[in-house]
Amino acid sequence: MAKIALRRVTKSFGAKVAVDDLNLEIEDGEFVIVVGPSGCGKTTTLRMIAGFETPNKGTLHIGETLMNHVPPKDRNLAMVFQNYALFPHMSVERNLSFGLRIRHTSKKEISTQVHEIAEMLGIDGLLDRRPSQLSGGERQRVALGRALLRKPQAFLLDEPLSNLDAALRTQMRFELKRIHTQFPVTTVYVTHDQVEAMTMADRIVLMNGGEIQQVASPERLYAEPANVFAAGFIGSPKINLFSAQVDHSGGESTLRCLETAIPVTTEIADHLRAARSETVTVGIRPEDVVLRPATDHDPGRAAIAGIVEVIEPLGAETHIAVRVGDETITCRTPPRSGFELGSTINLSFDITQASIFDGTSGLRVC
Amino acid sequence: MTAVASAGPGDDIVVAEPRLRSWIRHAVTTTWLLPSAVLLIGLFIIPTIYAIYLGFTNLELLGQYAQNYSFTGTANLQRMVHDPTFWLSVKLTLIFVIGSGIVAQTVLGLALALLGQRVNVVVRASVGAIVILAWVLPEIAVAFVWYSFSQAGGTLSHLFGTPKSDLLSTAPMLVVCLANAWRGTAFSMLLLSAGLRNVPGEVDEAAQLEGAGYWRRLFTVTLPIMRPTLMINLLLITLATISDFTLIYAMTQGGPGNQTAILPVYMYIEAFQFNQLGYGTTIALTLVIIGAILSIAYIRQLRPELKDTVS
Amino acid sequence: MTSPPRSLKGEEVPAGQLTASEPGISAPAVIRKRFSLSRPVLNVGMIIIGVIFLLPLLWLILASLNPGADDTLSLPHPFSLQNYHLVIHAGAGAAITNSLYLAGVSTIIATAVSTMAGFMLARRKIRFKGVILVLVLFLTGLPVTLLLIPTYQIFVNLGWLNSKFYTSLVLASMSVPFSIWLLKNFIGQVPTEFEEAAAIEGASEISILFRIVIPLIIPGILVSAILTFINSWGSFLIPLVLDANPADTPGAVGIYQFMSANGQVQFGQLAAYSVLFSVPVIILYLISSRWLSGGFSFAGGVKG
Repeated sequence: MAKIALRRVTKSFGAKVAVDDLNLEIEDGEFVIVVGPSGCGKTTTLRMIAGFETPNKGTLHIGETLMNHVPPKDRNLAMVFQNYALFPHMSVERNLSFGLRIRHTSKKEISTQVHEIAEMLGIDGLLDRRPSQLSGGERQRVALGRALLRKPQAFLLDEPLSNLDAALRTQMRFELKRIHTQFPVTTVYVTHDQVEAMTMADRIVLMNGGEIQQVASPERLYAEPANVFAAGFIGSPKINLFSAQVDHSGGESTLRCLETAIPVTTEIADHLRAARSETVTVGIRPEDVVLRPATDHDPGRAAIAGIVEVIEPLGAETHIAVRVGDETITCRTPPRSGFELGSTINLSFDITQASIFDGTSGLRVC
Repeated sequence: MTAVASAGPGDDIVVAEPRLRSWIRHAVTTTWLLPSAVLLIGLFIIPTIYAIYLGFTNLELLGQYAQNYSFTGTANLQRMVHDPTFWLSVKLTLIFVIGSGIVAQTVLGLALALLGQRVNVVVRASVGAIVILAWVLPEIAVAFVWYSFSQAGGTLSHLFGTPKSDLLSTAPMLVVCLANAWRGTAFSMLLLSAGLRNVPGEVDEAAQLEGAGYWRRLFTVTLPIMRPTLMINLLLITLATISDFTLIYAMTQGGPGNQTAILPVYMYIEAFQFNQLGYGTTIALTLVIIGAILSIAYIRQLRPELKDTVS
Repeated sequence: MTSPPRSLKGEEVPAGQLTASEPGISAPAVIRKRFSLSRPVLNVGMIIIGVIFLLPLLWLILASLNPGADDTLSLPHPFSLQNYHLVIHAGAGAAITNSLYLAGVSTIIATAVSTMAGFMLARRKIRFKGVILVLVLFLTGLPVTLLLIPTYQIFVNLGWLNSKFYTSLVLASMSVPFSIWLLKNFIGQVPTEFEEAAAIEGASEISILFRIVIPLIIPGILVSAILTFINSWGSFLIPLVLDANPADTPGAVGIYQFMSANGQVQFGQLAAYSVLFSVPVIILYLISSRWLSGGFSFAGGVKG
């Protein structure tokens, strides 16, 4: 088990910079998920840790050792590939025992360990089959088994669940978490699915365009996104983002947006002045938006009038899209709230629950 | 915690690869490429370059010019241009390539491919097997069979209604073209079948709904979509047929007289029967140039489609 | 195969009848007048073509079994293998053995050499790789007719004429460009993930080569080998020119010489000779076509 540290790592392919000056430290035993849209550099980062790519600049340390040019076979890592990479010409048993056979482990030892892992993963009936005879879920478990058997210092997983159907995916999320509790090995997991990231990670590394946007626990990432990108990427339904003009004139500072002026607390006003922001992007989560019929409004909060555009009943809750001027605000409401399409409605929110980002840089102000 | 602070100001850190490992990797790569390189350079590229030189010499198979041959400039070229047999040979080659290759093999191959789509599975499989068997048969066997076939009293002569005539003497190019067509159709059939399979069914069905009949659909929808495949087919047939030696030589030795002396056969006769190695090489070079021109013409036809697949 | 036209309800409609039995469609009058061939006619047409193609082959087989064969298509009265015996003793056996040598040696050399080159071209970064690949592709189209005379001349000077081995070498080099191209593309299609997975499991490069790579590319190697063998087996012009030693005569040249040897063409024996010479190639083709259509799928190793 080991710490993994990337310092100032840059990797380019020809003219394209895939990873730009990246700094990341992963603690021993941590379950870190690197998440981001396609092309953000997450897979390249994983492959550099594995040793299939070499950083152009910067250093990679696993434990105390500099690993930049150490070949993958000497890194004592295990990897689960997106397409599983099970050797098609070998049986499941030989796939699982491959690493052990390379190390000339005794036949008896191999047999014991293989059966142990196979039983734990529920694949012990499949040992004589070829990969082509297995289902997607079964193949994935064999790939996991092969990785677990080696007792490596870290696990690397490259979008392992993306080829499974939704039900299987949910099931495997639980399994993976359970396995990590049983074998608390440092794990680096790459995915584009933010649900996987939120449900499984100890810490999330959010990447975009080759750069790290934020590294934080799921709760922190959700509640305090570091920039507009982070706010928009995490959370479903997506956070509401709209721009606002900062107005410090008059005694009370306000944000001009949504065809109204929202007063802000002194604390927020101070942050805004310190950041010298003139325009900002305001982010408010759908569950933090309160809807009331037009006739009724909550005293103490600014009420914003809008028109109901779309109603999406999901059973346990309903998503309602409200049009305010040029913007559309999505809200999560309990089912059977009784709002009607096309009707006028009041929405309100607590500004202290919002995330405010500078209009130019996109960085969080408060 | 927000984004991890960068490691501080300063220069980029570059860790260089250990030299030994890099060197070993290059050595292995080179060693594995070497045998092919030696073989290709020694037995392919060097002879090609040598051929370009030899074509302009007076090298002969035997006699005084076998050892002491010399560069003769454009003498061979001039001889070739004034050689009526050469021009006859060019004409025969074109007849052979166009007649038996392009027309016969492609048309037959296409017909079989189209028929194959719509006939009974057993019929398709068995006729397909027969046609392919004709293709797999070694060329010398094909030559012998068609030689026998077209003798006086042979089966072909019977079929043509002229049982007494030796068709190889009376209509040598025809027989030779038929033999080559018989031999080569399978290749077109296979290639064009594959091309047909790649024509999306929906396009044809859309055309049917528009009211287009079979032949119209074939010529305005199916074949245009298959253009790249057709072009590649033509290219490969041309290249194979233009340099074909065995079939004709074994059947007629280029005769009677010079009536079937296509360029490869003519080259062999000049080089190894009339001793003219240098002149023979000139003919061979001309053959390659003709082939190259035709290839470029075909590839030009392919280019618009290639652009689509590449972009 | 294009699917047959379907009516709106999804039933198969015989070709030529895509007309308005459905409510709501009015078919153009053109369709009804269209000339359409029904399946039986097409079947018969194809069968006729098949029979025409069959005639020469039929003659060959029948003549080979007919001691008194001539150039007409006739059933052998006494079905006998006499032609085969005669022709084997007259030299066909030796000639076919020579063909075995030429084809065998050239295949081993060409396949080994091409696999190594193809692997490197598929997997490693090489300077000028693009140029090399274009060159190789270009060489596949170069006809043997060009190389014949200069190779002959070079062999004269090196004293390499009349040798089965050097002739095999020439045959090998003729197949190498296409084999390299074939194997490079084939190996390129094998996902690198298997090699990467093996590497991270701790396997050394040699280990990966023998345990993973070679087992996965065997179909490609076999196809390349079989194609080379078939090409070298039927080769006529090269052995004719480069090896005049009668003891080295391969089957193709042997058949040709037999054709012009005795005054009267021995149809029956030559037919037997041709059949004997063709059988190995036909068998190899059957084997390889199973491989080719069976496909090179890495089922299960990679998703989809």
